[in-house]
Amino acid sequence: MSYVCPFCSTASAGDATSCPGCGAPVDITRKPSASGWIELPRAADMARIQCGRSSLQIEGTLVPVADFTLAEGDSVYFAHHELLWKESRVHLERMGLRGAWKRMLAGLPVHMLTATGPGRIAFSRDAPGELLAIPLQHGAAVEVREHVFMLATSSVTYDYFSPPIWYRTREGDETETHFPLGYLMDRFTATGGPGMLMVHAHGNAFVRNLAPGESVLIKAAALLYKDVSVGMNLHFEYAQRKGFVSWLTSAWNLQRYLWLRLTGPGRVAMQSAYGHHHDPERAVIDSTPATERYW
Amino acid sequence: MTGAMDAYSRIVCQWCGNQSANPAQCGFCGAPLDVKNMVTESGWREAPRLRDMTQIQFDQSTCQVEGEVVPVVEIALAPGNEVYFEHHVMLWKQDAVPVRLMPTQGPKRSFFNLPHLITAATGPGRIAFSRDASGEIVVLPLHPGMELDVREHAFLLASSRITYSYVRIKGLANILHGGNGMWLDRFVTTDAPGLLVLHGYGNVFERTLAAGESIQVEPGAMLFKDASVTLETEKIKLSSGLLGGTSMYLAKLTGPGRIGIQSMYHHHAGGE
Repeated sequence: MSYVCPFCSTASAGDATSCPGCGAPVDITRKPSASGWIELPRAADMARIQCGRSSLQIEGTLVPVADFTLAEGDSVYFAHHELLWKESRVHLERMGLRGAWKRMLAGLPVHMLTATGPGRIAFSRDAPGELLAIPLQHGAAVEVREHVFMLATSSVTYDYFSPPIWYRTREGDETETHFPLGYLMDRFTATGGPGMLMVHAHGNAFVRNLAPGESVLIKAAALLYKDVSVGMNLHFEYAQRKGFVSWLTSAWNLQRYLWLRLTGPGRVAMQSAYGHHHDPERAVIDSTPATERYW
Repeated sequence: MTGAMDAYSRIVCQWCGNQSANPAQCGFCGAPLDVKNMVTESGWREAPRLRDMTQIQFDQSTCQVEGEVVPVVEIALAPGNEVYFEHHVMLWKQDAVPVRLMPTQGPKRSFFNLPHLITAATGPGRIAFSRDASGEIVVLPLHPGMELDVREHAFLLASSRITYSYVRIKGLANILHGGNGMWLDRFVTTDAPGLLVLHGYGNVFERTLAAGESIQVEPGAMLFKDASVTLETEKIKLSSGLLGGTSMYLAKLTGPGRIGIQSMYHHHAGGE
């Protein structure tokens, strides 16, 4: 085991063209930006990833497909709309989830499907981007932003929680609560042994390791996943205003920038294409713990 | 070089099956011939990603594929050559290229959200097409005597030697839960070859099913199939739980014949 993948830390002989844990090419140079983000290498077309007795192949580069060969008795779970094709012999079963009402309110699927081998089954999401395989060692956990998850092996336990990221605004008698990170967040833990989680990134994906106490500001919708040890809170930033513009805009908190502050230690990943969170820029009357800065 | 030596140096394109003398690209569908043939372990062949500015000859005209994210197909029409298309895929054209309408039993089509009319452009001149989504251009040279069914709104253009019609997908389950709409475009060649160009959303894969072999596909992912391949919607019962009895629908394609799928599709949420 002479090769350790810089992206998922899986040890391998390094004699294959791609990492058996996450599919990242082994023969490329690591590409950290000057600011410290590492661009996750796109899995090569037809990259093969071993997952216990089962395996998967990443196919295509624009809207990639995860093509699983499930061994007898092995299973994966997924949201039903990710399914692209399957062999008839692959058995599908409904997987109930707690809190169906809450999940429905959050726009999340109220149930998932489990596919059990033997047989082949493939998944894709209808958006250009990258597929990221995240190997999880026994006991390891990651927290994933909602609507990013694609599938996980059955040894990985799924749970969700309400992230402490919200703020409340008021205009007249109307009060509105905003959830820039979404109403719920997914948590995956490898409780039944090592497993694998797969997420879909819109656009390109970047990862970085934060040192203890080190923090970075990102757009909330750009977050892909983070280690459980990484803390997060809201950050409000107000642009400098002078003269007439200042007088005109001060009453309505205009030119406010909303950030998600992530604080180490731990690994964080983000995507380059994300939906815009509409901030009405009304006065904030309440929020989860937040920092702010006026320029 | 003699004709006999030419025949030995020809390369068979893995995508369209034609033989080309050019080692770099297939002269019929533009597929690069000097790259690895990408077949997955499960048997799907990845559509060859056409190189930017790839040129393909058909009749006396040429077709050039430009761009890679949302590719454009530009046709240099020779005098008298004609292509037809849905009018909203036209990107630009030269002033002098005349266009005409082709009859298609319009009212029935527009009732089912298909374009009421098909437009045809005649050379000489240049005209270009694109669909407003990221994906791949799939060039399908049709040999004489072929019949190909294409999901609605996937066809970009076809040369006039190809006969265009459409067929209704039969069966109530297909209509209600099939996700392919009610119609498939059917392209038929009789005694002359023709060129059919499709736009696949995301990446495109194809495979050939043996007689009786079948595969279940997300209905929105089906892109094209030989007319010999049957399409039916299959209800997949999900095991019972508290809300037992739920089910999902997949398109079951049964051979013999070639089928193509796309990796980006609008999920059809019917039947759950």
